[in-house]
Amino acid sequence: MWRNLHFLLSALVILTTNATSPCTEPDAVKLALEIDSLIDAKLKSQNITKASLTDDAEFVRRLYLDLHGVIPTYEETVRFLADKNPERRTKLISELLADKRYGEYLGDIWQGYLISPLADDRRKRADMLRKWLAEKFNQKSWNQIVTELVTATGKIEQNPAVIYLVEGRNLRTVQDLTDLASRYFLGVRLSCAQCHDHPFVAWKQQEFWGMAAFFSQIQTPGKSKVVYQVGVRDNQEITLESLKDGTTDGFMSIQPTFLGGEAPGSDSSIPNRVALAKWMTSEKNPYFAKAMVNRTWWRLFGRGIVNPVDDMHPANAPSHPELLDFLANRFVESGFDHKFITKAMVLSEAYQRTSKPGNDPEKQVAIFGRMPVKVLAGGQLYDSLVTILGEPVRKGGPQSDARSEFIQFFTDDGDPNVTAYRRGIPHLLRQMNSEQFARNISSLSLVTAGQGRSADEVAGELFLKVLSRKPSAVELNIFRDSVTRSCSLEASTRELAWALLMTSEFSLNH
Amino acid sequence: MNPFWNRRNFVANTMTGIPLTGWLGRLAANAPSQSRPKSCILLWMAGGPSHIDTFDPKPDASSDIRGEFKTTQTSVNGIRISEHFPKFANLMKHAAILRGMSTQESDHSLATYHMHTGYQNRGGSVVYPSIGAIVARELGSQEVPMPNFVTIGRAPQEAVSSGFLGPIAQPLGVTDPVRGLDYIKPLDSQEVFNRQVNLLQQLEAPFHKAYKSESGIAHRTMLDRAVKLMNSEQKQAFDISRETDQVRDAYRVNALKDPPKRGDKNPMALSGSFGQGCLMARRLVEAGVPFVEVVMGDGVGWDTHRDNFPRTKSLSLECDAAMSALVQDLQNRGLLETTLVVWMGEFGRSPQCGGGGRNHWSKSWSTVLVGGGIRGGQVIGKTDKDGASVVDRQISVTDFLATICTILGIDYKKKNLPSGVERPIPIVDTSKEIRILSELL
Repeated sequence: MWRNLHFLLSALVILTTNATSPCTEPDAVKLALEIDSLIDAKLKSQNITKASLTDDAEFVRRLYLDLHGVIPTYEETVRFLADKNPERRTKLISELLADKRYGEYLGDIWQGYLISPLADDRRKRADMLRKWLAEKFNQKSWNQIVTELVTATGKIEQNPAVIYLVEGRNLRTVQDLTDLASRYFLGVRLSCAQCHDHPFVAWKQQEFWGMAAFFSQIQTPGKSKVVYQVGVRDNQEITLESLKDGTTDGFMSIQPTFLGGEAPGSDSSIPNRVALAKWMTSEKNPYFAKAMVNRTWWRLFGRGIVNPVDDMHPANAPSHPELLDFLANRFVESGFDHKFITKAMVLSEAYQRTSKPGNDPEKQVAIFGRMPVKVLAGGQLYDSLVTILGEPVRKGGPQSDARSEFIQFFTDDGDPNVTAYRRGIPHLLRQMNSEQFARNISSLSLVTAGQGRSADEVAGELFLKVLSRKPSAVELNIFRDSVTRSCSLEASTRELAWALLMTSEFSLNH
Repeated sequence: MNPFWNRRNFVANTMTGIPLTGWLGRLAANAPSQSRPKSCILLWMAGGPSHIDTFDPKPDASSDIRGEFKTTQTSVNGIRISEHFPKFANLMKHAAILRGMSTQESDHSLATYHMHTGYQNRGGSVVYPSIGAIVARELGSQEVPMPNFVTIGRAPQEAVSSGFLGPIAQPLGVTDPVRGLDYIKPLDSQEVFNRQVNLLQQLEAPFHKAYKSESGIAHRTMLDRAVKLMNSEQKQAFDISRETDQVRDAYRVNALKDPPKRGDKNPMALSGSFGQGCLMARRLVEAGVPFVEVVMGDGVGWDTHRDNFPRTKSLSLECDAAMSALVQDLQNRGLLETTLVVWMGEFGRSPQCGGGGRNHWSKSWSTVLVGGGIRGGQVIGKTDKDGASVVDRQISVTDFLATICTILGIDYKKKNLPSGVERPIPIVDTSKEIRILSELL
């Protein structure tokens, strides 16, 4: 069995590897085994059966969507499904992580987190920030990326990292930036504490404003548009006190203080944000590593080890505390290597389990005995449509505008629970009846149905193209019937293409 | 969810001699006499209309404040408004002018979000639902194919979201009311569409059997609803070409009776499509949609930092015609009692108008409520002699939205428990004291 072979090979590799070697292939494999042993232990103790592994078709589609944000092409699917090498999954994982598309997908995601939804010129700036992030994710470790973001200075055109600091004509408020940094970089939600001590958790109002103080030096109170002329810079003279305007809820003008009460060093020549970045990315920081590990896990597994993903606190316990601590330590030891941690996670059996429900399906998902079904995000949907159909008909303007508009239309607001389908009638109407990709569907059908092919060959190709799998015998029958009734292979092909694109299966990452 | 709409009936007993043709008539004929749940039509004046130049004129102030417009008497003694709302002046007994509005945001996006949701946008983890989504959720039906929240015109996307209320309460957007509902017609023939849907249904079955996921079920349900809407009779409510020319003309201001030419700048304003949007709103409310938002002013709209007087005048005249036709039409069809019309922007504009423009002003401004069973013919709140601050009866955004909820029969204190958020969230932010405008009830 594949699984036994994998185990044997991994065991062999571990035995022949020096325990203190740097982050290389074997470490990720070892870490994957360790992940599995922790998860399996809990499954066993709760008497929950493990779901079986995905078949190759489920696996290839899921992996491409999770690592590259897009379905595999027809060629990529066929190649993988034909591969008999017992190590094919591991090989594919390595290939996908090394591909530049890995960074591009993460850049897309993080640009969405970082840019204020109300910022002017959002589209143009989003593209600039996305490219910058893509490059960094492909080359740098997480602590380096966050340091560059937190300490970013200069003008937008010269340093795209400052984009998220600006909203409209002004710098983003210290409250906003504190909320953003704490949620995304530290995995904690401080914003309730802006106005009062958090009712359910330990965060105090003082802690919120202590953190907010770190963002005060970039502000330009009373002057808008200055940031365009001179860029973002740290002005030692601006403190929270300078920003007091009598209208901000809960405002407290205090000195910068790290979460947990420590004060930054007394060297006033070091800008606040530099001190903040240093504290955040330190190996001893109790939040930083866990936040990224949990968020990466959440993206891949559809639920975090802590849920909600950005709300870690003592009253919100992780489902697997030992696993979280353990992964966080490994992440730190690796030098905050996000590719390494991702690789270990997708190598694990837990990641490769099917999403088909077994006994006690809810419980199975909750403790990672089964993968939940995830919903394709707006960007994944668009990029997958382009993969299958080519670029849509343009109505003037650059392609990136069409992509942005589509994503904004199809993207959910609110807490992004990746397993909840939240689109409504307007979205389904557009998917069914929009002209945007209609011509592409016609061309595709024309080509696919051409030159004396049989109904089975046509169906085979369309299923592989759209759903990344071969059709079942039943599905082949359904299509053959449809061709017989319509008497036109081309017409039926077009209908099949339309139908496949409208299936739940296409819109979901199972 | 309001049980009334489960029976898909529409009240007809208060119609005064207007023949109801076609499907509307059939449904009306079968309806028992029942009190109809309320609906709301929000007329969103994007850009922030000047309160002094519309509903809170200051004829006795100095010339650099009162501006260029004169005032007109209304059908209610003692209430005067801008001369450029002549038709609406005659309908004042149905309306209440809220001159005491005083809110906290002066930036367009932030203020728009603030006025639609009652909360301030902190870019945080909670996305609050728009008032339209709230009404859709509380008063709408899940049984009928019609959506419960419709926006007409270029709606402010971040401010009309259903947020944590989810897809059931999402708005269906109609960009151009003259063109109708986007994507409602299949690309090919009905025959081809039916075959495609049939094929789809056959293909879906094995996936759902194998994966049995909630998200799959949600997708399939939404798809079914979309197809039902496409095949429904009720979708005709989105087709204003079914109205007579006479009715359609009533919603246009005289100067704009000519059809727009290609290349006309700002076609929304020129073609009178705001008025046609109001007409569609009336049809939708008749068809049972609980909340329709009609947007006036795409792009710059009422945001008159420059050319305040010529632009405000033309916008006022267009708005006057549309709004008055709407109120009149609703009244003629016996719908005014149960339909609340809300006229509002995101803030007012500064009293100082030397230089021909007025800037943003959130400290004191005006909104208008019409119909919905309110006690009309009154003014609530008063500003100082320059229209610069509220001297009597300050109305916050939460006072305002809570009052609207109350008029519509919604408990504004009711709490939602959105997933992923620990604390229950009331429909209207109750963290500060709320004073309902009981004078209206």
